[in-house]
Amino acid sequence: MNLFYLPAVLLFLVFVIYPFIQGGFLSLTNWNGYSQSYKMVGLKNYVRLFTDGNVGTAFLNTLIYGFGSTLLQNVLGLALALFLNGKFRGRSVLRTVIYLPVMIAPLIMGYVMYFFFSYNRGAINDIVLALGGQMVDWMASGPRAVAIMTVVNALQFVGVSMVIYLAGLQNIPQMYYEAAAMDGIGKAAQLRYITLPLLMPAIQSAVVVNLIGGLKLFDIIMALTSGGPGYASHSLSTLVHRTYFGSENAGYASAIGLVSFLLIMVIGTLVTRYFTKKEVEM
Amino acid sequence: MKKTLSLVLTAALSLSLLSACTPAADPQPSSGGAKPSAPTVSTPATPSGEKVELTFMTNVVGEKAAALESALKGFEAETGYTVEFSAPGDSYEELMKTKMSSNELPDVFTTHGWSVARYSEYLMPVNDMEFAGRISDQIKPVITDSEGNMFVLPIDIDIAGIVYNVDVLADNNIDPDSLKTWDDFAAACAVIKAAGVSPMHIGGKDTWTIGQFFDWVAPSFYVTDESASKAADLKAGKFDVPTWTEIAQMMADWTAAGYFNPDVLTADYNSDMEALATGKTAFCFYGPSAIMDAKGVNADASLGMMPIPAASDGDAPSLIAGEDIAVGIWKDTKNAAAAQELLNYLARPEVAGAIAKAAGNSSGLTDVDVELGDIKTYFDKYKSVETFPYFDREYLPSGMWDVMCATGAEILAQKSGAVEDAGKIMEQSFLDKYAG
Repeated sequence: MNLFYLPAVLLFLVFVIYPFIQGGFLSLTNWNGYSQSYKMVGLKNYVRLFTDGNVGTAFLNTLIYGFGSTLLQNVLGLALALFLNGKFRGRSVLRTVIYLPVMIAPLIMGYVMYFFFSYNRGAINDIVLALGGQMVDWMASGPRAVAIMTVVNALQFVGVSMVIYLAGLQNIPQMYYEAAAMDGIGKAAQLRYITLPLLMPAIQSAVVVNLIGGLKLFDIIMALTSGGPGYASHSLSTLVHRTYFGSENAGYASAIGLVSFLLIMVIGTLVTRYFTKKEVEM
Repeated sequence: MKKTLSLVLTAALSLSLLSACTPAADPQPSSGGAKPSAPTVSTPATPSGEKVELTFMTNVVGEKAAALESALKGFEAETGYTVEFSAPGDSYEELMKTKMSSNELPDVFTTHGWSVARYSEYLMPVNDMEFAGRISDQIKPVITDSEGNMFVLPIDIDIAGIVYNVDVLADNNIDPDSLKTWDDFAAACAVIKAAGVSPMHIGGKDTWTIGQFFDWVAPSFYVTDESASKAADLKAGKFDVPTWTEIAQMMADWTAAGYFNPDVLTADYNSDMEALATGKTAFCFYGPSAIMDAKGVNADASLGMMPIPAASDGDAPSLIAGEDIAVGIWKDTKNAAAAQELLNYLARPEVAGAIAKAAGNSSGLTDVDVELGDIKTYFDKYKSVETFPYFDREYLPSGMWDVMCATGAEILAQKSGAVEDAGKIMEQSFLDKYAG
């Protein structure tokens, strides 16, 4: 019997499964997050969750962060990978430059971006003013803030998708392209009928990793808007944080966390299944 | 196999989202939510020769933290003890809540206004300590619970009004002492606005700055007018919605009139200080520590502090009094004797005075004279003005602060129905938490 997996299983049990069960239990209480006492409230937190407009907003935002980031990251990542898979001078430098933002902590990236989008002396508004326009309070509108943060997140992590696609592209045997070229197949058709089907495992990995990262988006939101104005740009993750620590509703925060888990689990599973069906054998 | 692996990976990554929602140790269920009885003071003697290591955590940062750290170094030099100092800044409250949940607190820590309402369950009473008799009458009611226990050494007192830029008011011929009511204040804002300066500045990205507005305004509507005070109702668990709606409406009216900075929802506290220090705004709803912070931006800035206007002609302006740097001892510390030594050391007039000076506040001890420079002028000038506790700390259940901030942000964003919603949401949260 192979016992080498035991340490990993133990760590997973202690640091993920046990807290998960605890979180599920807490969601049935009114615990404030720090007191030594609490009351059991049954399913009250779950009932409240489904009638809470702020949860609805955060839920919608979470989907936008998740799917929006994934779409941008994968379209751009694939385009960059196709471009940088060619042989030309300086491609290694370009790959490094595109991957570099991944090395920066998202929180730091958020604070850097804050100085871009600030109303006063923000880099974007400076450009707008230089072009003769009016200053805009970019983050004052919830939907606009959500869109900006989706783009910021996608651009920061586009390097991850690019690397996954580069690895995938390099695994596709050249003979398919050579055969296609001999048959007079154009580049667009090669992309559609050879590259994309054979890249499906890479697309699956990139989409699932990006999607889960986007659905859990936290740091950039905290740095750029703290979920505001009001609750307008919260994701479910930041809402859990605010509800737990700010509103001192740890029980309710646990219920939101549990529902977030189910949401990500279901979406992740469906996406995985979809791409698994699309895979072709090389 | 690959499919199974993908599904497991999905589940694992998703689970990590929820794993944060758990206490470090199990809290105990209670049927009535009653607070545990006050802990008894135990002062075990430190065994001779044993190395004593104390942990000290504080919410304060900057000059205040530097002054505290300097005092702790003095204590270390005098006693030979080691004090591990930690000032985590913004994450302090979250860290402390986590520590409280696991009942593993620092030996000594600051309570940022919550020594009674939030931390008393975890603190050792200080009534029998030497400095207790020297605690100022001004702060004593704020740090005393219903059973007469005090839990902290109040090194200074936060006496707060509205801070203002002296030059901006002078340029517009506004005498701050003439602003007796909110109507007077709004009229002054109109003049300042017409002069092209933002009358008030709120850094709403740091949501707590929005809560400040309500903490400053609410007492004048609820408690300062003795003839119409709703203090008893609030204490009895009754929240008056129409009064809160009046406050919310005032904020909405001022927003519509453009009395707040245009980036009120996205600016932060630092930009408040910059605007105040550079004359880009007239008023900020902060205490005297903001004067110190703004002076850090522009040392030549001329800044002052005025009492908070009343809601009606029949009432008088008031000030807010609260804890600032208040230090308590964890009731279960294994270093109780050393921790008490530390508090006694911090209570020495020269030590407490130096820390209070860095905070820009008057002392919480009667025999400590603090060199406050310009700020002292305002403390002396308004020493007869009646003080009231911070509204949220005294009259609202813990956890309401965030509700004030969130509902305020909706009003500042001019969201439809935000004024009416503010009152309803505040009442609902108040009742939920009060019943807690």
